[in-house]
Amino acid sequence: MDQIGFLEPRPAVLARRREIVADLLDLLPEGCLVHEPRELVPFETDAFVSYRRVPLAVALPETTAQVAAVLKYCHRYGVPVVPRGAGTSLSGGAIPQEDAVVVGLSKMARILEVDFANRTATVQAGVTNLAISDAVTADGYFYAPDPSSQLACTIGGNIGMNSGGAHCLKYGVTTNNLLGVKLVLIDGTIVELGGKALDAGGLDLLGVVCGGEGQLGIVTEATVRLIARPEGARPVLFGFDSSEEAGACVADVIGSGIIPVAIEFMDKPAIEICEAFAGAGYPMDVEALLIVEVEGSEAEMDAMLASIIEIARRHGVKVVKESQSATEAALIWKGRKSAFGATGRIADYICMDGTVPLGQLPHVLRGTAEIVEKYGLRVANVFHAGDGNMHPLILFNANDPEDAARAEAAGNDILKLCVDAGGCLTGEHGVGIEKRDLMRHQYADVDLAQQMAVRAAFDPQWLLNPSKVFPLEGRPAA
Amino acid sequence: MQTNFTPEQLADPHVATSEKILRKCVHCGFCTATCPTYVTLGNELDSPRGRIYLIKDMLENGRPADAEVVTHIDRCLSCLSCTTTCPSGVDYMHLVDHARMHIEATYRRPFWNRLTRGVLAAVLPYPGRFRLALKAAALGRPFAGLLKRFKPLEPFGAMLDLAPRSLPKAAGEAGPGTYPAAGPRRGRVAILTGCAQPVLKPEINAATIRLLTRLGVEVVAPAGEVCCGSLVHHMGREAQALEAARRNVDVWLGEIEKDGLDAIIITASGCGTTIKDYGFMLRLDPAYAEKAARVSALAKDITEYLTTLDLPQQEARGLTVAYHSACSMQHGQKITIAPKVLLKKAGFAVRDPAEGHLCCGSAGTYNILQPEISGKLKARKVRNIEATKPDIIATGNIGCITQIATGTAIPILHTVELIDWAYGGTKPAVLS
Amino acid sequence: MTPIHEPLSEEAAARLVQVAALSRTPLAIRGGGTRGLAAAPDGAETLSTRGLAGIVAYNPAEMTMTARAGTPLEVVEAALAEKRQMLAFEPCDLRGALGSSGIPTIGGVFATNASGPRRFVAGAARDSLLGVRFVNGRGEVVKAGGRVMKNVTGLDLVKLLAGSHGALALMTEVTFRLLPVPETATTIVVSGLNDAEAAAAMATAMAMSVEVSGAAHLPESVRGRFAGGALPDGTATVLRLEGLAASVAVRSQKLAASMARFGAVTHLDAETTARLWREIRDVAPYADGTPRPLWRVSIAPTAGHQLVAALRLEAGVDAFYDWQGGLVWLRMEADPEAALLRRYVKAVGGGHATLLRARPEVLAATAVFEPQAEAVAALSARVKASFDPAGLFVSRMVG
Repeated sequence: MDQIGFLEPRPAVLARRREIVADLLDLLPEGCLVHEPRELVPFETDAFVSYRRVPLAVALPETTAQVAAVLKYCHRYGVPVVPRGAGTSLSGGAIPQEDAVVVGLSKMARILEVDFANRTATVQAGVTNLAISDAVTADGYFYAPDPSSQLACTIGGNIGMNSGGAHCLKYGVTTNNLLGVKLVLIDGTIVELGGKALDAGGLDLLGVVCGGEGQLGIVTEATVRLIARPEGARPVLFGFDSSEEAGACVADVIGSGIIPVAIEFMDKPAIEICEAFAGAGYPMDVEALLIVEVEGSEAEMDAMLASIIEIARRHGVKVVKESQSATEAALIWKGRKSAFGATGRIADYICMDGTVPLGQLPHVLRGTAEIVEKYGLRVANVFHAGDGNMHPLILFNANDPEDAARAEAAGNDILKLCVDAGGCLTGEHGVGIEKRDLMRHQYADVDLAQQMAVRAAFDPQWLLNPSKVFPLEGRPAA
Repeated sequence: MQTNFTPEQLADPHVATSEKILRKCVHCGFCTATCPTYVTLGNELDSPRGRIYLIKDMLENGRPADAEVVTHIDRCLSCLSCTTTCPSGVDYMHLVDHARMHIEATYRRPFWNRLTRGVLAAVLPYPGRFRLALKAAALGRPFAGLLKRFKPLEPFGAMLDLAPRSLPKAAGEAGPGTYPAAGPRRGRVAILTGCAQPVLKPEINAATIRLLTRLGVEVVAPAGEVCCGSLVHHMGREAQALEAARRNVDVWLGEIEKDGLDAIIITASGCGTTIKDYGFMLRLDPAYAEKAARVSALAKDITEYLTTLDLPQQEARGLTVAYHSACSMQHGQKITIAPKVLLKKAGFAVRDPAEGHLCCGSAGTYNILQPEISGKLKARKVRNIEATKPDIIATGNIGCITQIATGTAIPILHTVELIDWAYGGTKPAVLS
Repeated sequence: MTPIHEPLSEEAAARLVQVAALSRTPLAIRGGGTRGLAAAPDGAETLSTRGLAGIVAYNPAEMTMTARAGTPLEVVEAALAEKRQMLAFEPCDLRGALGSSGIPTIGGVFATNASGPRRFVAGAARDSLLGVRFVNGRGEVVKAGGRVMKNVTGLDLVKLLAGSHGALALMTEVTFRLLPVPETATTIVVSGLNDAEAAAAMATAMAMSVEVSGAAHLPESVRGRFAGGALPDGTATVLRLEGLAASVAVRSQKLAASMARFGAVTHLDAETTARLWREIRDVAPYADGTPRPLWRVSIAPTAGHQLVAALRLEAGVDAFYDWQGGLVWLRMEADPEAALLRRYVKAVGGGHATLLRARPEVLAATAVFEPQAEAVAALSARVKASFDPAGLFVSRMVG
């Protein structure tokens, strides 16, 4: 199995390294440029640690104007730029390359305005996802998309990847909750797209920037939608004897017209991992677990739960356990949201992110198990079942190159299975470097060519995050 | 995370331990969000994940420490907020301890830095010297501003700022000896006398002894005990730290063998974290490994121990207490609920300030060695505490008390002083 | 009379575009032709989706449907009604207001991002659109998106095409998400509030955890023209609640109790509620058979009434508000007052005004879409060129 390739570093850029560093030092305040070789190493990867490239320099600007100055400079001299939020990408979206300047938004972490009457928050791109909800929770609001890494990941990164999360079943993903951005284009132009008004006045550029994986520009500020907190929320645990039954139950719940806020799935290995970290009281004697969260008034939650329990009984549910307190509810979610990291206690892993139509869940779960077995590996499944967004965690030993290669191959097979089942390669983690070479499995050349043409309309020289998303061959010439 | 160590490198037990720690990290980045220095500086190099990577790179390549690595490790508060956050169970504490040892062994610090650290290591752990230094500080205070203008001397300026205006009399300290239980004895504990705390706030241990004896617990303050070693341990001076640990282990084992001990009570959570780690620190010393583990198992924070005594609910006092959880308490020892439950039972209204997971910037000698970052963290902490509009601030660590007291007019006390008062002890002087 | 092409298949449509590209013949894409803006300019030929009709797949259990772009909206809605499902964004039918005829198509709905009252909480048409097949200006058949809700595989071209008003490509097939029809609905009417009071009342309602799914303010001038005159006297600030019957009952009580401090509160039954919100959606009061200029202004919710108050001092204007005040329907007495209106939109914090109706010569002479900042306009033009390098598709959206 070949390693995924990066673009060859541009020799002209590497040759000018010292001048570039000196020029960037002039453009940025003290302490805002990392350039000592040893200090660059920690920026060589993100949460997709299988791939690593040490960047040329790391700029940590404090203002939009500084971001613009750096981009303008890089544009002028043909220096690739890789944007970085908190570096939590699971698809390698923030992995640099040797000839690239990383532009990290970590110093731009201020909440600029909270406007309750219009239910919006305007924040700098380096603000973490959770910090937005934290800032408004006392007033009864929250920001809905909740990727599991929400504690650390930034809103800028969320926009880049159009991140989802457990509660997106009801509230939608980032793009459905994003109202506006301040965007710096590669030539240093600063544009504002959207704002507190809904819908676009012209082409929906905001819609394509969201999920643009840092290839269309660098978002420095965002205006997002706030939602009033529901009266109550209750996560309920449903334990099943088989993954297939749990999967079929999910499809039936949604098919019946009930839309809970979240339906999360864990198989036995995942339950064990999460319980070990969080002590959430997950049932341990079941093969698969659903966390179903309903919200609203007591009456509404009771009514919804009754219907869901009835459906679950038809699928032979073994355990039904309601959370008894806010603390218990918080633990249930803490366990779920820490699933990936907690897996690190027992093994290295790569995390897949394919989405499939709900009816295909049992089929794809079965197929995943077969694929992993074929490669002689283990898998833990923990994912957003309500919208068919699967996260098989393939466990392996990173210190064994052959094991790592097998894990990557198994991952590719699983993603192809998802696409063939009518789904897609990635539901919320983004293509990044990880799934780039699988894009042709999902899209025809003409489909990809159209996407690349749009990308080139924003960045004709392909300087922004250039090794990602699109296969390296067949790109339109700059 | 993948690691690259040779079998020869792994033969070093410290490297072997660090390798195991590194293997657990999945590089998810959760730790960055709750790291006080990352939140303050916005640079991944000043976050746990960045430091882990720097340490990994240094150890894998068997390189001596260099100025860059040292800068970022020095900026670490060792608050261990990251270990509370980490879902993968990365034992950052022992990794950074190893890095500090490696730095101490392989890196020659610039002169002024060496001098500062040398002075701290030679003074702070010794109550006599410390008292003398504080008296000298009173004379030196007018020069604080001057010192701070010259960067290498900034730490000395910071020291002068932190030194209290007036010092309690040495006589207030609870000296070595046995304090018998009032009434029937229900337990026997040793109390750690400590080094800096009895000089700065002798009333803390005094209150502890009063309270425990009143509750029927015999308290012994053994003679021969020294500083727990935490201050030098965090400077990477491992030999000095282990020496202190061995002496204390001997002293306490003596007490255990004499009359038995239910617990070793510690009233400074910074010391508690270290003493609870004696078992690990001395694991490679065959003569002490087992003894140290026994001592660590007996070490208890005063609030942990009080929880076992089942104190009765007192009437409400109409006083609001903002509870500041010291990092060594909440992250180092994972004691989060006990102090607040005790305070509530004692009749206080307890408030949790926002961002409670963030360090106040004290962190042992950090507020002296890194005054700028420390100052920012202090301001942030005080802002959050004051937002809860408390009458009193309570915490369980002398470092935090000293640090926060220089940033607010609200009285700050050790939790045990309030508990003592609530259960029949004297009213803390600052509240009168 | 310009030629109208009605290809019967996607391949035929693609060939047609290829031929037009060769002859450099501009094409104006048309769905049902209900917008009135689709009249092809001189020299352009019309490309209609009428021949591309029919539901391709309907999967009620997965709550998705795929339909050809020319499928009449009523056909889609009838199929959904059978399974008690719906389009969450409540597509509007502006034929009455615009005085147009024709049959709205599902492709037209998405191409114009036509969204009704639920939009401000449930998202716009663009948020329900999951996948698209389209013919670009090179005559290539391209697919984007898919049929699952969560999909971030590559650039989200689906969002770009939604609301692109025929500027980028001819959509041939759309896949979209559905929602179950709520069991019941009710409306709380708060009477007698002026515009500013209504804005405050609506903001209060939206801050509550009662899940308001419609918030509109109907000033005295229009109130009588809704629900057959069933709304109480004075202005009407209307708030819709939907869901399970038991839950709606509890929530409406809670909401009514909170709204009582703003004004007199009455309730509407489910049937009247359905009628009222359909009329709000379709701008019923301005379906007046006149060509008086009609604007649709999207703005921050609390800025809506400020805009109208400012305009009233300088122009003859009538207005009502949807989306908590964030959607202002403005009818001018005579001149569209585009410059004045847009100046005030900027002054109250920005947004955009779209001119939907006016006398033909006025429509032709006015920038119907909000003019954009120079850099954004340039970027939009480049994006259009990436779909349609020769500028074959004529649309007023990207100039």
